[in-house]
Amino acid sequence: MTTTTTVQAEAPRQEGPREGRTTLVLVRRLVLLAGAVLLMVSGTREIRALRAYEETVVVSEAFTRQVMLSHWFDGIAGTRMDTPVYVFDSGVGGGSVLLLGGAHAYEPASPLTAYMAMENIRVTRGRVFVIPRANRSASTLGMLGNAYPPFFRIRTAWGEKKYKIGDRETHPLEQWPDPFTFVHYPSTQNLAYQDSRNLNRTFPGRADGNLTERTSFAISEMIRREKIDMTIDVHEASLGYPVVSTYVCHQRADELCMMASMVLSAEQFPMKTETSPTSLRGLTHREIGDFTNSFAVLMETPEPFIEKFAGPMTEELMMTGRDEFVQTAATRGLLYTEYDIKTGATMDYRVGRHLSGALEVIKQMGEFYPAKAIGVTWPTYAEVMKNGSGHYLHDPQKADGRRVFKN
Amino acid sequence: MILLQTIIHHVYFLLSAVVAVLLLTRLFRRRSRPGIAYDIVYVYTLIPFILRALHIK
Repeated sequence: MTTTTTVQAEAPRQEGPREGRTTLVLVRRLVLLAGAVLLMVSGTREIRALRAYEETVVVSEAFTRQVMLSHWFDGIAGTRMDTPVYVFDSGVGGGSVLLLGGAHAYEPASPLTAYMAMENIRVTRGRVFVIPRANRSASTLGMLGNAYPPFFRIRTAWGEKKYKIGDRETHPLEQWPDPFTFVHYPSTQNLAYQDSRNLNRTFPGRADGNLTERTSFAISEMIRREKIDMTIDVHEASLGYPVVSTYVCHQRADELCMMASMVLSAEQFPMKTETSPTSLRGLTHREIGDFTNSFAVLMETPEPFIEKFAGPMTEELMMTGRDEFVQTAATRGLLYTEYDIKTGATMDYRVGRHLSGALEVIKQMGEFYPAKAIGVTWPTYAEVMKNGSGHYLHDPQKADGRRVFKN
Repeated sequence: MILLQTIIHHVYFLLSAVVAVLLLTRLFRRRSRPGIAYDIVYVYTLIPFILRALHIK
């Protein structure tokens, strides 16, 4: 018995059919796992690129200082919602205005308007505050389920400048889970669950609320503490949305918006105006008007790209706004603004509208309230339509490094 | 309230990591359903949990 055991132990070990099969299964699983890792790396390339990308802006010589939003409320310090605020102070008395871009990052004419204003602004009276990425977290997330391209490019004489197309809401990596129903503070109105991450549904915000509410609160605090006379929130809308090509204004700003709308419609492009409904809670034009002394104004341009019935979601559609399905809707009278596929709604058109729309309503504030007048210029609708957006964007390689910022 | 929200938020990442580890373990050590079809299911199901645990998606 003992001898036999010794002989068996000393014999050369041979792999049986069962062990061989086990090794094969192990190799198979390792190969599959390696494939999954490869899929994760390659499949998330665009996601990681969008999350990490920083936009470059070359601010004009009127630039005074850059301050993080958490300066006014430290409840967002150290998070991806803390965002740069750019101040252009003439040093001369007068009014102050906040240009709020990127509250909804999937409406990219909004931050681009802010960047173009910042790169070309001249201020002779009063102060101008610009937040190009109000919801910075949303700009790092692609629109879920919509197959949006992550970036769009503006051609300039010195090369291309790349900007992000983000999402409507704060990134779930920053704020999760969503509640079953979002209860707006302080009205207690019930809103959709995803509105808990929608910056333009969480105003005036609350200091101990969720991250998006805290960001809204920080913006409201900045407006209150800096005594900002007018807040202009820049958006884009689907053409089937009634307030497209419209100023939506708090009732205290009604007269300013009506005058601005008449002047723009008579001299430049069609622009409607509408009073902010009192039952629609959480939006800047309602809550900033109610909870601060600022005149609250929101602007919408037509963005065919975000139509639910538009064709393929491509960078070309984003830039040209030409879409046959939108044209069909226009032909059947289903849209709330003019549309012609021959001209589309180009990025230049949308940004130009916003730039002139903001200038006109600021001008009207000075006409109605001379003590709040602001002397400010940046490219107008006519100039952008003639020269293109790229003409007004500067080369960061050739600019003074003190005026180049990453967002 | 903010502390509670932060804890709940991070628990989601932790749960994703736990599920990912469980799936990974079962991919290599399981007694039933040893076929390749189930291997593929385990590997494919693993992806979203790993991406969430690593703060990628």
